[in-house]
Amino acid sequence: MVSLIRTLRSLRRVGVREWWRQLQYIGDAKSGRFVGADQFGNRYFENLNPEEEVPGRHRWVDLAQHEYHASQVPPEWHSWISHIRKDPPTEDNVMKNLSPPWKAPWVENLTGTRGAFKTYNTAAPKINAWEPKVAPRGQ
Amino acid sequence: MAFARPRVAFAIGQRLATPRTFSTVQHSLLARRLLSTSRPSAAEHVRYGGHEPLHSDLSQRILHRETPAPRYDAQGNEIDPYKGGPSAIDKAVHLFFFTEILRGMWIVLEQFFRPPYTIMYPFEKGPLSPRFRGEHALRRYPSGEERCIACKLCEAICPAQAITIESEARMDGSRRTTKYDIDMTKCIYCGFCQEACPVDAIVETQNQEFSTETREELLYNKEKLLANGDRAEAEIAANLHADHVYR
Repeated sequence: MVSLIRTLRSLRRVGVREWWRQLQYIGDAKSGRFVGADQFGNRYFENLNPEEEVPGRHRWVDLAQHEYHASQVPPEWHSWISHIRKDPPTEDNVMKNLSPPWKAPWVENLTGTRGAFKTYNTAAPKINAWEPKVAPRGQ
Repeated sequence: MAFARPRVAFAIGQRLATPRTFSTVQHSLLARRLLSTSRPSAAEHVRYGGHEPLHSDLSQRILHRETPAPRYDAQGNEIDPYKGGPSAIDKAVHLFFFTEILRGMWIVLEQFFRPPYTIMYPFEKGPLSPRFRGEHALRRYPSGEERCIACKLCEAICPAQAITIESEARMDGSRRTTKYDIDMTKCIYCGFCQEACPVDAIVETQNQEFSTETREELLYNKEKLLANGDRAEAEIAANLHADHVYR
């Protein structure tokens, strides 16, 4: 709850309900342009006014899940929110044209759950148990 | 000497025209005990190196050995160089009313009412480069065919020897890997593997949020690497496209 005027301005713009949610999750009241939402319901915002948002904090995401984690952002939006690409993936023609049809759905980092990655050997074993082959007798 | 010491320590009248009867070396140590201005006794140049020693006016200024020559006006009167500056009473007022401390506290108070510079991770993120080297991924061609041809250049160049590759000929006769393991606990993220790769198969994605709770989850095999590539292909390809003019 710093910068009282900024907090009140955001409260007036986004409404009490959204403001309360921001204070619970982001921890700071922000207001800006709604850029888009991804397939998980995460909403992405941008405010390019340097008087209202410190440059470097001008893009943010409102993560949909209560148990939020940074890896819940899919890679297309990750490159937008990490300032790698200028345009969001909904408007970025390069990103849209380079998305292959066999693109797999994004899965967040599942460590600590039953979905965590468990490694295994992908090659055939080099050492096999001896399987005796007996030629039939009397023939 | 006994009076000179507290005067110098308070920095009042330090620059007033007082006769310097006390040791100038002690004066300078008391007045400006800064790392940048104190004499580094251990790092002194070799004085007798056969050539002329290095000379600058800085040491004289630091040690105050050189008293400035008095200047005179047209009538022959000595000009006081501190005439236009603050008087001793002004300095004493600023000292005893803690104005410098109050100015510092005012700056703190101003920062309190400004928006914080702290980036609220994970809702906001710092900028990354398209060349950022994060989690590894194996890519596919747009047709869906996997790119890696098991040339083992990445395995050869890996300075941490984190990559293990085994290969076999496939049913159609093309050589592919049967095992492509990266020990992410060994990897030093130098990016040599993606530079060595002739077909852009192994890349380091921009994903840096793949930390795990156990060590075993970081022993990536081929399926995990291909899955990483399948999920992040759009981002990888866009980054390569952004960087292709420099390659």
